[in-house]
Amino acid sequence: MPDTTGANGLREDFRVVGKANLPGLTSYAMATGVAKYGTDFTVPGMLFAKFLRCPYPHAKVRSIDESEALAIPGVLDVVKWDDPIFSELGANPMGGGGGGSYLPQEAHYESQEAGCIVIAESEALCDEALKALKVEWEVLPFITDIFKGAEPDHPLIRGPELIEKEAADYRPGGMATAEGHVLMTKHYPTDPPREANVTWNIKVEGDLDEGFRKADFILEYDVNIPTCISTIPNPPASVAYWGDSMYKGPGQKIYIEGAPHRRESIMSMYHKSSDEVVQEGLFQGGKYCDWGLRKSQEITPLLSKRMGGRPVRCCNTREETFDLNRNERHMHLRLGVTRDGVITAVEDNTLVDNGAPGSSTMGSVSDRDWGGYYTLRCKDITQRFKVVDSNIGFMHTCAQFVPYNWDSITVGFDLIAEKLGLDPVEVARRNLHGPASQDDPNPVPSFEASLELGKKLMDWQWHPAGTKRLPDGRLHGASFRYAICPRHSFMDYFCKLEYRDGVVHFPTQGPIAGWFSTECFAMIAAEELGLNYEDICVDYDYREKHSDQAGGSDGVTGHGWIVKECANKLKRKILESAARQANPEPGAYRGVFGFPAPPSPLAGASADELDIVDGKVIVKADPSRFVPFSRATRENVTAEFGGYSPKSAWVTGFGRILDTMNTSWCEVAVDDETGEVDILKYCVVPDVGKVIRRTSLESQIDQVVFFSQGCQLLQDVVHDPETGVRLNSNFLDYRVPTTMDVPEVTKEILELRSGNGAYGASGISHNLANSHLIITAIHNATGVWVDPPATPDRVLKALGKCEIGGLE
Amino acid sequence: MEAKAAGISFRDACAQASARIAAMPAKQKIVTCPLCGEQFLGFGDLTAHYLAEHPDSAAPVELRMTVNGRACQLIIEPQQTLKEVLQYNLGLTGAKQMCDRGQCGSCTVILDGKPTLSCNTLAADCDGKAVETVEGIAVNPKWQPLIDAYCKWDAMQCGYCTPGFLVAAKALLDRNPTPTEADIKEALSGNICICGTYPRHSQAILEAVTYMVKGGAENA
Repeated sequence: MPDTTGANGLREDFRVVGKANLPGLTSYAMATGVAKYGTDFTVPGMLFAKFLRCPYPHAKVRSIDESEALAIPGVLDVVKWDDPIFSELGANPMGGGGGGSYLPQEAHYESQEAGCIVIAESEALCDEALKALKVEWEVLPFITDIFKGAEPDHPLIRGPELIEKEAADYRPGGMATAEGHVLMTKHYPTDPPREANVTWNIKVEGDLDEGFRKADFILEYDVNIPTCISTIPNPPASVAYWGDSMYKGPGQKIYIEGAPHRRESIMSMYHKSSDEVVQEGLFQGGKYCDWGLRKSQEITPLLSKRMGGRPVRCCNTREETFDLNRNERHMHLRLGVTRDGVITAVEDNTLVDNGAPGSSTMGSVSDRDWGGYYTLRCKDITQRFKVVDSNIGFMHTCAQFVPYNWDSITVGFDLIAEKLGLDPVEVARRNLHGPASQDDPNPVPSFEASLELGKKLMDWQWHPAGTKRLPDGRLHGASFRYAICPRHSFMDYFCKLEYRDGVVHFPTQGPIAGWFSTECFAMIAAEELGLNYEDICVDYDYREKHSDQAGGSDGVTGHGWIVKECANKLKRKILESAARQANPEPGAYRGVFGFPAPPSPLAGASADELDIVDGKVIVKADPSRFVPFSRATRENVTAEFGGYSPKSAWVTGFGRILDTMNTSWCEVAVDDETGEVDILKYCVVPDVGKVIRRTSLESQIDQVVFFSQGCQLLQDVVHDPETGVRLNSNFLDYRVPTTMDVPEVTKEILELRSGNGAYGASGISHNLANSHLIITAIHNATGVWVDPPATPDRVLKALGKCEIGGLE
Repeated sequence: MEAKAAGISFRDACAQASARIAAMPAKQKIVTCPLCGEQFLGFGDLTAHYLAEHPDSAAPVELRMTVNGRACQLIIEPQQTLKEVLQYNLGLTGAKQMCDRGQCGSCTVILDGKPTLSCNTLAADCDGKAVETVEGIAVNPKWQPLIDAYCKWDAMQCGYCTPGFLVAAKALLDRNPTPTEADIKEALSGNICICGTYPRHSQAILEAVTYMVKGGAENA
């Protein structure tokens, strides 16, 4: 829906918004290395701490003999899981920490912090102490193969307490769909009971039998999506110490660096007010919808207190933070289809990894209410999630790269196209409902516009699988997919703007995580105030309420709407103040040190008759009468605005209402002699509603494409089948794309102004993430399906030309 | 090339980089025993202390190297990496820790003219050598066009890996002042950016090259 409820939502004359190549507010600090991240902070006299980490996928510490470790000079303490200090900790509102269970005795995934923490004079001594510990581990049954884990006779891997805790996770007061379904929970009261390590999450809509009766044929296929890893660039780390509080006394104030998430977590865990937690550092590194606070970031104040106030630093290694960004899932689909290519029934039976206890639902079942299936006219849909507890790893709050169920349906379009000899674009068109509801027969303007451009960019000429060779002899394949453009509007935002001494200040606490949202907000504020981007003075101050973080890059749009409204409120107040000062009460003195001031050029004009244009406050009827914006008023003027942006279709429609959409397209060449896959073209045509900051928008698209590419061609988590130990938690053996791997991504960005954010903007990234666009193109080239990652050996195996581990 | 920026300007950032270089100790006068925290007035006293108190531990060693043009005389632990010495002993944070084992390029510095992974390099092996970090590049006006282009093209998102890329780019331009896009991709292929900024680096470097070859920058 267009931005019609706020100020200037339909604005056409953009001076600042949409511009490219405006340097970021802190880009120079980042480029020159002076930006300090958690792991960069050092404090004189600091100690170091390290967690003992579980070397098995599932094990319990029976005992720890720390005597040899403590005998090493420079090793100061070993804090064990049953130490009473952990009971001092309050809960972390972002999901971790808290109470006596902070440091568990039992670890549910490899590298999980468990058993104890060592404190020493240096990091090397911590490592030495960890090696010197005599730890007796009780190795417990584990699941790293969810097919085996789903078998009814597989030993249980979770005790009754954990099972009960997760079952209680159903949150009836949480986010609900229009039909009353509660989102973001793994368990619904209607779900069947647990069976061994398996729980169920089932959603039935319509009448599946009736849907299949309407079909002329049934397609059955599998979509296998492997685990992928989240690698936050900076290994989470913090350093903390206790300082004096003017009000509460000595040693009552926490100084911490490297604990992101707006200090709230630390405040809650240590029972402190915002005045008692100091965190001045701005830079928190990459966050890809991963909002968890790691133990290394939250434990340092407690350890510092134990060590009499000496600063303590705690840092992770890369290997210790190879956490999940997408859980493995295996989808078996049955589609009822008419001979015209219209889907009449969707039956989705999915086996999915539940992750370690406490893992986010976004990795397993949260897409049951969102996504691709509900963009279909078909209403007879059943999703059965068979959710298997595992010890594969932990998935933090959310994941940018969960592709929801979009790929299962777009793979279906490809199969229908193949069977009927129809272009998959046409199949999609026949199945997509209109913008207003699943019964709406009208085309979605955003989708149609995106299709038209995409086909042009690709020179789209679909061919049946395995029928086209390039002049160099390689097989040619192409694919396309669609999704809606997501954006947040389920959280409230806050903005404060101040006009002070002729300058507009935008105070924010940051932190900075990489999506240039403050820059977007400054651009919106400048646009609404008739100023330039450089005129908005962003004041970074950790004590401020405003934070960029809420909603991530998708949230920028809704958040930007709040900033737009705030800027208009400030503008109104500035003009009122300017009019007041230009029109003093009769007889009131106006001047400086006895010298009467000449009449203001704005004299006689009311606030309604004034405007701010190009850095000047002008009289609308006579723009030659103006004062520079910097001299609009001598008063300090502050505006605050908070609340929710208008609801987005993402929240209200869940696919049943469609506004801004995107298409992605891929063309590959497959060498059927070597199994090599080359991406020849990768095009993205998103309708972002309105571009706010073009350069970073394009970079966000690159990021999600490269991630999707990496997961389909390179990235593969490997476990030892006997021990369950992960074999490749490093960047050498777990390959992520580099400059030599990534394709050029052609982008044509549409601006149909139908999103719910400022000026009709939408989000980007989440739903450009995909698990099968390249895989589908490989299928179109070769006629065979290759499960990702489509490494050359897997391609050759699918073609029947080799076995894994050696050529024929 | 325009370098006007809201927020932290080139000049602000350079001033901070310059201050950090200036704050590097030329010679450690007071040294702290890394095992027991006791302080000493020089290397000799510390060595004696080790022999007496920690005979089973590897004693610290002396290290002389030039960092960003400044001579430094340090006392380090033998197992310390160059990355650790830059951060803990010299206060330079431009070289970043990402992968811990020479796989990501974030800790890249230029050692005696060659791009080097500082997390994989023992500091003790750098005795007598010259190290150039991103801070040193930042304060050299010759490289302002490169930094400007990086900022103009958002060749960063979270910014954590950016200094490593920038150092690798500078090392490339040192040996090949007019690289092609293919040269750039190859030169930066040892650097990992999780935020996916790869194409931006080529754009930025190519633009900087155009500017620098035209002679727009003042050569230092």
